[in-house]
Amino acid sequence: MVGMPRGQSYTGQNQAEIFCHGGQFVLKRILDEIYKHKVRPAEPGEFTKRAFLAGKIDLARAEAVADLIASKTEYSYSAARNNLLGRMSEYILVIRKAAVELLAEIEASIDYPEEEIETAEQERLLDSIDDIISRVRELADSYQAGQIIKEGYRIAIAGRPNAGKSSLFNLLLNQNRAIVAATPGTTRDYLTEWIDLDGIAVSITDTAGLRSRAGQVEKAGQISAMNIINDSDLVIWIADISRKRWQLELAGDIEDLPDRSKVVAALNKIDKVESYDRKAVTITPDISGLSGCIAISCKTGEGFKSLRKMLARRINNNMPDLTDRLVVTSARHKQKLDNFLASFRLAEKSIAQSESPELTALELRRGINEIDEITGRVYNDEILENIFSRFCIGK
Amino acid sequence: MKQIDFDIIVVGGGHAGVEAVLAASRMGKTSALVTMDGTKLALMSCNPAIGGLGKSHIVKEIDALGGLMGKAIDATGIQFRKLNLSRGPAVWATRAQADRIAYTDYVSKFVADDPNVTVIEATAAAILTVADKAIGIATEDGRKIYSKAVILCTGTFLGGLIHIGETKIPSGRRGEKAAYDLSESLKSLGFEVGRLKTGTPPRIDGKSIDYSRCELQPGIEPIPFFSYATKPYHIEQIPCHLTYTTAQTKDIILRNLLRSPMFSGQIHSIGPRYCPSIEDKINRFSEKPRHQIFLEPEGNGTDEVYPNGFSTSLPEDVQRESIRTVIGLEEAVITKPGYAIEYDYCPAYQIRASLETKKIEGLYFAGQINGTSGYEEAGGQGLVAAVNACLKTDHKPPLILSRAESYIGVMIDDLITHSTTEPYRMFTSRAEYRLRLREDNARDRLFGYAHQLGLIPEKDYNEFIQLQKNTRDEIKRLRKIIVPVSRLDGMAEHFVKKDHISLADLLKVPGITYSDIAHLNGHDGNRGDPDIQVIERTSIRIKYEGYIKKQEREVERFQRMENEIIPEDMPFESLTGLRNEAREKFARFRPTSIGQAGRIEGVTTGDLAALSIHVKKFRALDSAGDNQ
Repeated sequence: MVGMPRGQSYTGQNQAEIFCHGGQFVLKRILDEIYKHKVRPAEPGEFTKRAFLAGKIDLARAEAVADLIASKTEYSYSAARNNLLGRMSEYILVIRKAAVELLAEIEASIDYPEEEIETAEQERLLDSIDDIISRVRELADSYQAGQIIKEGYRIAIAGRPNAGKSSLFNLLLNQNRAIVAATPGTTRDYLTEWIDLDGIAVSITDTAGLRSRAGQVEKAGQISAMNIINDSDLVIWIADISRKRWQLELAGDIEDLPDRSKVVAALNKIDKVESYDRKAVTITPDISGLSGCIAISCKTGEGFKSLRKMLARRINNNMPDLTDRLVVTSARHKQKLDNFLASFRLAEKSIAQSESPELTALELRRGINEIDEITGRVYNDEILENIFSRFCIGK
Repeated sequence: MKQIDFDIIVVGGGHAGVEAVLAASRMGKTSALVTMDGTKLALMSCNPAIGGLGKSHIVKEIDALGGLMGKAIDATGIQFRKLNLSRGPAVWATRAQADRIAYTDYVSKFVADDPNVTVIEATAAAILTVADKAIGIATEDGRKIYSKAVILCTGTFLGGLIHIGETKIPSGRRGEKAAYDLSESLKSLGFEVGRLKTGTPPRIDGKSIDYSRCELQPGIEPIPFFSYATKPYHIEQIPCHLTYTTAQTKDIILRNLLRSPMFSGQIHSIGPRYCPSIEDKINRFSEKPRHQIFLEPEGNGTDEVYPNGFSTSLPEDVQRESIRTVIGLEEAVITKPGYAIEYDYCPAYQIRASLETKKIEGLYFAGQINGTSGYEEAGGQGLVAAVNACLKTDHKPPLILSRAESYIGVMIDDLITHSTTEPYRMFTSRAEYRLRLREDNARDRLFGYAHQLGLIPEKDYNEFIQLQKNTRDEIKRLRKIIVPVSRLDGMAEHFVKKDHISLADLLKVPGITYSDIAHLNGHDGNRGDPDIQVIERTSIRIKYEGYIKKQEREVERFQRMENEIIPEDMPFESLTGLRNEAREKFARFRPTSIGQAGRIEGVTTGDLAALSIHVKKFRALDSAGDNQ
């Protein structure tokens, strides 16, 4: 047993750890014994909650712990880890400092109307608010990447019946490390499985059967396939290249898709044709607004390598470089950053329209309060502090 | 029990003490004002002015609570100005130069004429207590005076020590003695006593000033009076002047810096950063080529001038040499040297929001003893302390003004949740609900309390109720009058997107004033026109309406946190699961609500969450105990 005094433990409270020999039986006996002595098992996240309450970690870090535990892949691990190391809090504080300085200038001009201080020139204020807004916007925008990291990158496989959706689905699963074992899907309309593609958790959904299932109202099937496609980060539209009019069919099928730029066409069954029009494959994306087109054979595996490369590239383009970038993974943080942006945009407008400064200050304060809720810190007097340290004020 | 001489004893006849005895009197209580010199009540020891940003707001609140300060400055002002008029009405501020002697005479006479107030010329030496309850005071000349409550408004007299260069003079104000025994009495009662510092500039003979080299700063007309009760009258206004220090000023001061007690190590206590000495300004902002000096006349019957911005504790010879380097002051004759003064105060974690001390029941602190500075801040506290002392003697709950309804509330809340690092001065930036706390609506915010407490005449209250109704009616009327945009002659064309607009919405457009829309609103400039007060109140309310509404949710959230009451006997010292720093802070300030706890410096959301859990547990335990 190892005891950890208050100052050194994770929770900031006195803590003890018990190590024992392996085996369920021994473990169970020990637990049974200690539960007799007013000991209870920790609730989910309780250790982190205690650490937070004891001030060992701030709110952003506490949330990062939850993310870390839930992280499925290398990428989500490093995003959560960045938060845990306090990088998010640190970055927020940098932005906050700039925001408070801006507010202090405006407050100084309100509370010291008679002083000779070079504050609150409209253009300079606009510059600095613009700078703050773009920094926060960049951070807020990383949420999409953050979602991919946290929730995984979603790929849907769609196409006409018998084009080879299920074959491609199985091929992708077999050629990559599956994260979760496949569940028999005979009774489901569609299948979703997880794979690890170059460190990123990717979910692949096979929309097979949606149109062809007997007894099913065709429309309902179409709608749910459409929903899956809309929710996906990338769609592989599989078409049968052995069909004579594949080009026309493909063009007709994808016409109704709302966002064709996230669609990659996979022209299957090159094994079944003696030759195909390579030029047609190359120019297909240009004509139809797709983001890629590749000829493959699910049967022989030909072209699969190129498809996989294309997918990896597409995913990577959506991923930030985590070595020097922070990623917002929490919906709560995203909400606060958006609120901050809304307030600061109003403040920007207020400055641009030369509104009275107390109204500008109102929005700035509101924005600052929002980001304070990310780190959970409470501040006092800092605006005056800032004024006094920067301006020679007072008669 | 000893005899009771007075309901309330107020120690100190400055701006806090005066408001205290007068408020007590209005509430029907007798009081003694114990002061060293009964003819110098509410003396302006430093600058001869009332008001300014945040401060004028407090004066209006004092006025709405029936206080004297606004009436006194209206009666004795020699120049009135309105600051920030180009900004929104929440940050408009009135500022007036006073005839210093006339002001103190006016107040001294007012107090002398009050039958409920007895002025006792003496120096308080000790607080008399029985079982941690204040029962009166002892004076230095051996008298004992008994009362139900004692209010200390000691200003700079408590342990006062004046510094001029290397010279140190025990004194509460230029040429007056200080109160040292009282400090000892407080310490022996267990109070923590700290030390603060403030300063004042030399005074100059106005006849020796070359005003032709300075910028004129005239007052404005019509005169913006402070008190709602003042009937406008004509004042021959005297201008102020603005001038600047020069490179030579900087040289002389930097050369002599070590002769300033602030820099030689003679003074350790902290002075206000918003009111730094000239040596401090020159030293800290050495890149600034010049500093502003405002030349403020001290009154009609005197040539003395107050050079605002030249506060200093440098030796007299350096003061004389350096002041003559200021533009226009080349021949200046100093009539009184400037000085720094150190004085005792009691860090305000020791008082409650009622201003009653936590240690001694029935003992109240107001003004500089709480670490504040400024006549207005002192006056506001004196008034609240007296109201609460009176309420206490009647066994009624105290008057606690909230941050969302008054600057006085902001001030007191700041005092009891913050450690004092310098004398506290009000700024509008301290108020998070600034748009609601305006000069123009002080009565809307506080007249209800004042009426209930008997602080104002019934007639004033009824008149105000009528004014409020007239304002509401006018706002309603302007909402109902819809005009076609074609009638606007291009007025506000960038803002109006519809064919028709109500006059109320038109008034919201930046730059549009009530007089701009007057020709559209059915008034012909004569009969039945709303009076100027209604017009002003209407305009401000309509212009701010949207912003204030937007802040309502924040105010509600604030109120919810304030309503999460922490029991008085909460054992903060023994709470677990809290950071040490937070536990110590909570134990020191003993917050009375979760909202207040959140305003204590260094407290985090985590600390609040933990405290909140403890409060719930504690309550559950408590009620379980009650049930047994």
